[in-house]
Amino acid sequence: MGKNIYLGIDVGSVTTKCAVMGEDMELIAHHYIPTSGKPIAQIQKLIREISKEILPDLNIAGVGTTGSARYLAGEIVGADIIKNEITAHAIAATHYFPDVRTIIEIGGQDSKIIIIRNGVVADFGMNTVCAAGTGSFLDHQALRLGIRIEEFAGEAIKSKDPVRIAGRCTVFAESDMIHKQQMGHSTPDILYGLCQALVRNYINNVGLGKRIEAPIIFQGGVAYNKAIIRAFEEELGQEIMVPHHHEVMGAIGAAIIAWENHETTGARTRFKGFSISDICYETSTFTCNGCPNQCEIAQLKQGGQILARWGGRCEKWENVSHVMDKCENTGVLS
Amino acid sequence: MQVTFPHIGNAYIGIKSTLESLGTDVVVPPGCTRRTLTLATRYSPEGICLPFKLNLGNMIEAIELGADTIVNITGHGTCRMGYYHKVQEQILRDMGFDFQMELTGLSEHKLTGFFKMLKKISNNASWTQIISAFHFGLAKVTALDDIEIIANRMRAIEKEKGTITLLYREGTKAIDEAGDYRSLKNVVKDYRRRLKGIKILSGVSPLKVLVAGEIYVVLDTYANMDVELEMGKLGVVTERSLYLSRWAKRGLFYNPLGIDQYRKVHKAAMPYLKRDIGGDGWETIGEKVLGTGHYDGMVHLAPFTCMPEETAQNIMSSTKEDLPVLAIYCDEQTSKAGMLTRLEAFVDMLRMKRNRNGSRLLEE
Repeated sequence: MGKNIYLGIDVGSVTTKCAVMGEDMELIAHHYIPTSGKPIAQIQKLIREISKEILPDLNIAGVGTTGSARYLAGEIVGADIIKNEITAHAIAATHYFPDVRTIIEIGGQDSKIIIIRNGVVADFGMNTVCAAGTGSFLDHQALRLGIRIEEFAGEAIKSKDPVRIAGRCTVFAESDMIHKQQMGHSTPDILYGLCQALVRNYINNVGLGKRIEAPIIFQGGVAYNKAIIRAFEEELGQEIMVPHHHEVMGAIGAAIIAWENHETTGARTRFKGFSISDICYETSTFTCNGCPNQCEIAQLKQGGQILARWGGRCEKWENVSHVMDKCENTGVLS
Repeated sequence: MQVTFPHIGNAYIGIKSTLESLGTDVVVPPGCTRRTLTLATRYSPEGICLPFKLNLGNMIEAIELGADTIVNITGHGTCRMGYYHKVQEQILRDMGFDFQMELTGLSEHKLTGFFKMLKKISNNASWTQIISAFHFGLAKVTALDDIEIIANRMRAIEKEKGTITLLYREGTKAIDEAGDYRSLKNVVKDYRRRLKGIKILSGVSPLKVLVAGEIYVVLDTYANMDVELEMGKLGVVTERSLYLSRWAKRGLFYNPLGIDQYRKVHKAAMPYLKRDIGGDGWETIGEKVLGTGHYDGMVHLAPFTCMPEETAQNIMSSTKEDLPVLAIYCDEQTSKAGMLTRLEAFVDMLRMKRNRNGSRLLEE
């Protein structure tokens, strides 16, 4: 049997990422694709890609999943450990930068701050009630201004005199932007103003009450955007470091956690093998009418067999070993 | 007369018992569900807090079931809550409902006011009857807290996941059904024994987390999306800053006698906040200060837009006592996903802090 490798999968709301790490925690392969609202198909696609890349003598010894679809992903690939994305990002960042003190992570749908002291998480924050200042917001605004998101940073960085845009709410920001655009401000000035607004929003909301100290690491998809990095550096007066593989740090973290899990427990992996990319999975949802709460239950099926269910307030549907295809038989499905 | 009252946690078991033993017809509102929430948000002011909305929803659902008298609480010196009964009454009248609202004051009328209200809705029961009915209701609430405290301690170390939750639900039902002191005592004894006697994981020392914040969201598992249950599933023991039985005894007995049971908590909060700011904000800060050293962390529950708790949260972020605090805002969301991500990350963080030397994530 060849060398052991560890697979980490991070299924976010906007992008799906995976990373393969070797025994010495070196990155062997990684992928980054859009989730496009089809997490299962995209996870299968990633697995297919990875299977082509890694040498046949390598042996997958552990699998970790993270991201907002971590439970779904874990069920599909057969994960040994399922971890939240905050821990995964912190583990990855401390792996590459042992003395890191602050992690800024901005993804598609959420943004986080993780405060690290002595190599462990000391505090963290996540955007609570508002999605202003996330990747999707930038995407949306770029689209509105007719700019591809890849060109966003290049344009914004040309700004000489950025306009002031209200950052605390996407609705305010958008109306501010439209107003300034109609007044004739240049696109770069509007774009960079938007970057500054995002950074202000992040520091005042997600970073509220947190001590942002250097070394500061910036990871997540939005770290592709050089203009945002510049706005952060200007606002904080500190240098911002961006890891080489910033966009897959969550997946790297999940792989490291899988390794740690394997080292501690020594258990055989539950990985279902590369063939899962060819299996047909079905997802469906139904409303349970067992009580007036009417929980929306989501279920994952493979050839008529139910693999998992989520979304109930009680345990009625969660424990799949006890239930056969009950929902169809009893007509609870509605 | 068909009497109803809004929900707060499982207090309905005690209230129902008191009213029924006085011979009053009681309509217990259906437990909070998505329907309650939908009704509530449709008729409530948008920016008001979740407790207001859910309580309004309870009243609507109870009226639908035939209730014509609503017992509601009021009180000055708390928070906006002091006005809630008036606004709720107006909304229900505007909806075309015909009912009567009976109020009991938390801060001004105290026990005597409460008893007078009971007399009014119980068709003039004697004072002895009222006192004994109230006493039995309170005994039930105390019994409920009793087994819940054990459940939240044992759930973290249960060998077979789900055992405690099932037992606890059974116990709650048995307490609800107990008809006299004797059977209540037996039920409590029985369930205490059964909850403590389950098979447990050996050799684990679970994390201990304090759950504090605004009373309604701390007590109501629908409003806080079963936060204590979810923590238990993650292997964490939870204790609350307040339990209904203790809170009721304090408000109704000790405070009128001039005994301030919260003196210690208020004193602890003094360096950061010198006065009551309404709701439970002052106490929340004190709980953090006192909890440092005793707990691994604290979960701060607050209804979204709750001024006292938001104030407390901002103060707490800069106290010198460094107990890690996770703030959770309770509002209309019905998906637990966001809360679970934060809880899991919080628990990982607390574990990392504890196991500095060993594995960073795995317990033991």
